[in-house]
Amino acid sequence: MADFSWDIRSPLDRALVAGPYGAQGEAGVSLTEIRNFDLVQVMARRGKAGETIAAAKARLGAAAPETPKAVSIADATVIWSGPDQFFVLSKGGKHSIDALASVFAGSASLSDQSHARALISISGDKARAMLAKLSSIDLHPDVFGVGAAAATSMDHTSVTLWRGDDRNGQAVFNLLVFATFAESLWHTILDSAAEHGVTIGHSEDLA
Amino acid sequence: MRIICPFCGERELGEFTYLGDAKPQRPAADAGEDAVYDYVYLRDNIAGVISEYWYHGGGCRAWLKVTRNTLTHEISAVEPAAGAGAAKVGA
Amino acid sequence: MMRGDQANRLNNGGLIDRTAPLSFRFDGKNFLGFKGDTLASALVANGIKLVGRSFKYHRPRGILTAGSEEPNALVELRSGARREPNTKATTAELYEGLEAASQNRWPSLNFDVMSVNQLFAPIFVAGFYYKTFMWPAKFWEAIYEPAIRRAAGLGRAAGVSDPDHYDKAWAHCDVVIAGSGPAGLAAALAAGRSGARVILCEEDFVLGGRLLADGGTIDGLPAAEWIAGAVAELTAMPDVRIMRRTTLFGVYDGGTYGAIERVNDHLPVPPEHQVRQRLWRIVAKRCVVAAGAIERPIVFAGNDTPGVMMASAMRSYINRYAATPARRIALFTNNEDGWRTAETAIAAGLQVAAVIDARPDVSPAHRSLASKGGFPVLHGSVSAVDRGKAGVRKISVALTGGARAEVEADGLAVSGGWNPAVGLTSYHRGRPKWRDDIAAFVPDGAPPGMVAAGAANGAFGLGACLREGFEAGAAAARDAGRGGNIGSMPVADDEAFSLTPLWHVAGNGKAFVDQQHDVTASDVELAQREGFQSVEHLKRYTTLGMATDQGKTSNVAGLAIMAAVTGKSIPETGTTIYRPPYVPVAIGAFAGHHRDENFHATRLTPSHHWAAEQGAVFVDTGLWKRAQWYPRAGEKDWLESVTREVKAVRSGVGFCDVSTLGKIDVHGPDAGAFLDRVYINAFSSLAVGKARYGLMLREDGIVYDDGTTSRLAEDHYFLTTTTAKAGLVMQHLEFCRQVLFPELDVQLTSVSDQWAQFSIAGPKTRDLLKEIVDPAEDLSNEGFPFMGAREVKLRGGLKARLFRISFSGEMAFEISVPARYGEAMARNLMLAGKPFGVTPYGTEALGVMRIEKGHVAGPELNGTTTAGDLGLGKMMSTKKDFIGRVMAGREALTVPNRQVVVGIKPTDKARRLRSGAHIIPKGETPGPENDQGYVTSVCFSPVLDQWIGLGLVERGRERIGEIVRAHDPLRGEDYDVEFCNSVFYDPDGGRQRG
Ligand SMILES: [Zn+2]
Repeated sequence: MADFSWDIRSPLDRALVAGPYGAQGEAGVSLTEIRNFDLVQVMARRGKAGETIAAAKARLGAAAPETPKAVSIADATVIWSGPDQFFVLSKGGKHSIDALASVFAGSASLSDQSHARALISISGDKARAMLAKLSSIDLHPDVFGVGAAAATSMDHTSVTLWRGDDRNGQAVFNLLVFATFAESLWHTILDSAAEHGVTIGHSEDLA
Repeated sequence: MRIICPFCGERELGEFTYLGDAKPQRPAADAGEDAVYDYVYLRDNIAGVISEYWYHGGGCRAWLKVTRNTLTHEISAVEPAAGAGAAKVGA
Repeated sequence: MMRGDQANRLNNGGLIDRTAPLSFRFDGKNFLGFKGDTLASALVANGIKLVGRSFKYHRPRGILTAGSEEPNALVELRSGARREPNTKATTAELYEGLEAASQNRWPSLNFDVMSVNQLFAPIFVAGFYYKTFMWPAKFWEAIYEPAIRRAAGLGRAAGVSDPDHYDKAWAHCDVVIAGSGPAGLAAALAAGRSGARVILCEEDFVLGGRLLADGGTIDGLPAAEWIAGAVAELTAMPDVRIMRRTTLFGVYDGGTYGAIERVNDHLPVPPEHQVRQRLWRIVAKRCVVAAGAIERPIVFAGNDTPGVMMASAMRSYINRYAATPARRIALFTNNEDGWRTAETAIAAGLQVAAVIDARPDVSPAHRSLASKGGFPVLHGSVSAVDRGKAGVRKISVALTGGARAEVEADGLAVSGGWNPAVGLTSYHRGRPKWRDDIAAFVPDGAPPGMVAAGAANGAFGLGACLREGFEAGAAAARDAGRGGNIGSMPVADDEAFSLTPLWHVAGNGKAFVDQQHDVTASDVELAQREGFQSVEHLKRYTTLGMATDQGKTSNVAGLAIMAAVTGKSIPETGTTIYRPPYVPVAIGAFAGHHRDENFHATRLTPSHHWAAEQGAVFVDTGLWKRAQWYPRAGEKDWLESVTREVKAVRSGVGFCDVSTLGKIDVHGPDAGAFLDRVYINAFSSLAVGKARYGLMLREDGIVYDDGTTSRLAEDHYFLTTTTAKAGLVMQHLEFCRQVLFPELDVQLTSVSDQWAQFSIAGPKTRDLLKEIVDPAEDLSNEGFPFMGAREVKLRGGLKARLFRISFSGEMAFEISVPARYGEAMARNLMLAGKPFGVTPYGTEALGVMRIEKGHVAGPELNGTTTAGDLGLGKMMSTKKDFIGRVMAGREALTVPNRQVVVGIKPTDKARRLRSGAHIIPKGETPGPENDQGYVTSVCFSPVLDQWIGLGLVERGRERIGEIVRAHDPLRGEDYDVEFCNSVFYDPDGGRQRG
């Protein structure tokens, strides 16, 4: 009998080279891939939007956003993904699809998207300048504040973008991108960020 | 062109896909061939205000009914399709 | 200080940095200029008057303007792969090592063989393209077109790939302002102070607009000081962005503006990691157009002689660049403003030869200027220019009253008044309106949210520019919801304005309206005589205004001349439609990052990098890169590799990554009812744990897509689509859910990226699977029958989905694991399958096996075929409504002679069948009347050891055994083929069920 293992591999495993990239000097853009997360799409059933939100609140202790927002709680982030639907992003299986199935039984349909996306966290002085090359939405701090979220497109690819809590006084933008597009968009991101200088890394921890 | 998605806010045209006139209603199963023929093929070519379907595929995936002036491209109203999100329709 | 031999450089003044000399080459000769120069100003400083040859007649041409409206001074900038033709010397910023070459001259600028075109001028008159080269058609391609290209034309493209990068970006603001002259700066100050987010675009590399050349006093300060203060104030505002070297070139619906930023055009090569140009899409609530006005020429014989220059341009060269275009200057003006050039010339210590003023009166101030300067004021018009080797030599003047005079000068400044830059305000099919008092078109309304201010709005006085700009900026900010304190308005006096319209001076010799396209006044008159009187016809017939300058200096003069010859007024004659871009924009900027391997986004399958390691050859299918085949050492071509892969599957076991299929989770209590409506066959009746092949139609009865859909739970189906239609089917299903059937409780999600899916096929499939799947799982025919679908546990505990479906006709399963395990699955299949000779196969082998099995795919689901055409008519349920049901029953879609899918093979087993070949009955002449269909899909079948195919042929299924001709005019082939059952391989299906 063959002896084989089930190695898990991020869609950015090959493309991501940790370290500096592009223009030398202080990096204007910091890119961190967050690996191995649980992501569940929750879609309220007809007439059950209220029940779905109540179920989310009972389980997670926070109201699921009904408008394009992201809500962070201790061990998960709930991100609006469309009308009457949201993502639950977490680590370690506590809010995996199996764990959430009973929570939303009867109120919402769940779809496991844990492997369908790559998650990239973007920060740095020039994060907005770089994102302006990819995103058509206005990321001015007065418009896209902490907790703002958007279902939008970058490079003709659907993405979910939200602003997490600031880190070291700097805005942090989180980007969920479809896994099969991830490498392509990654190269586009690097191309866009190169002039600002980039520092690249990956992490197992959600911000 | 920019469309104000009732769910996402104002977005650029590239996130949307155009379908066409929102007026024709799919006939009932027993409506007969002529009614279906009208539904599938016959369209008014309106110079002025028209209600049309657009899909926010590059965003929230909602189908939208957009009221647009074909002469000026002015958009005067955008509303979600009846069954967008978890809206309860009919019985 | 270093001046080189810049003989025409003034010793003092100008906005140039004399401590920063720059060397450059023009037509192979070395020159020096200074930082702050444009190429044009550096050429002026070096006494270069002849800078190019004209488009049709190869007439020598000089620099006419000092801005982006320049028609003549076009050069090839840079060399090699960076050579950029038709670059305006008047806007090209000088840099160290700049290389430029004049255009349209052969062999050299001073001696041009093609200038004999002037002798053949009659054939180059208006409409010459239409008149001369109409017949015979083939002469056009072979003779005329290449000859014209050689004789007439603009610069040469580099011919090789552009080595530089371009990118695109979005910007958002409350107020975008085009132009940083007095009106633009005032607008920016008002809007910025009120708290608005402002973007100020200036195409020049220095802010200030006409103030840079004409100066003035604002708020009691010299213009330069006021500009410095304004710029400092704006720079300190965090939400004001000043974009130099950026032209706002277009306005689009919904307050979206296009701008091109020449980020690094002022450097020989962009710094590492930087782009050459950036295309901006600016989303703004309001726009203030402060783009100024363009001084217009007067059309007279010899007006294209080098040394004839716009009066305002002459002031720019003298005041801004401290470069003197001439020593002894004559001025021809019809307005008060032109006189400023005489003042400038005198102040710079140049001689004024004469002022020729077309107006009946000249102000006392100017009369005293003339007497102090010792030059005559001639009332009349320039009727001819005598050209010497160095350009303008002598000017003939037709004096009011009929007498003539001659003026000796080496430069002639011309001012015919000013045309507001009405481009941006007119781009939404706006028509500017005529204002008699300034004899110019001004904006008449503008696209929503836009307003013109200052000279762009016909307000030519400095005070008026500041006032209009400030008020427009304040109003724009207010409309955008900003209400901060705007402070006080900058104040300046207004200059006197007086103008007597004059467009064209009759005379002998060519008088040019459009210098870039060599359109003369007589061309306009000829067009009128030949009936092309509408301005749109005039434009196309004469090509007036169709060059790269879009007629910025010529359009109004052209229509004024047309108005005169038709006896209409200028407003009655009207303007042509204005269209963006305002200045030429490089295609590279529109493409941005999307070139070469980044032409479009690509999608990679979960096993992509493993396949690459295996040496797979990849094929682009839509956005995907898919493994097409896996060549092995010693294989001589793709066919050998593919044939090996097929044989390996049919005799043993192989696997293929099929993750590219669209995958959709269909959830909800009404999921079954929903699928019943979108598929022609029933899915509500499908048992949990089973898969079924489904076919979707469009509402017009034509087949849309197909795929297998499995029921994983009572309220959960897993639907698959073809690779090509994945996104479109999702959109269609959402339309069905949200628009057509909103009463159904169903939820849809794409899970295409969630699952890595592999097809495992061949008689040894079970042997291989047993190695991968937990031994507790029953894979027997009873435990996992054909079309079974359920979750299984793998060895190691991982959960997977297993589907017993077959596209190859072999015993086969498809197995899905979460995508991040996709690569591990490929490796494990190789490892586990080693004893069974497992073979990875690509899309070609997949295609071969589906053709052998008679399965339809993209070439048959081609947007014209019905379920019946594909042999799937019996799947159409008669017990339910579904999309396309009614229209599928239409007569034309059900007639018996439709082209239907049939198997096809050449009668000569050695012959290669080609897709696209037409089916012609034996003995009939090939042609549309005898065309009965065509070959859609072909492959070499290793099983049959010959080429086989599928076709769409009239009554094909009824004609099994008939021999017809495959006629292939594209490849020059014609051969006999036989119709056969489309299922070439295992027609009973025993293998896939075994
Ligand atoms: Zn939306």
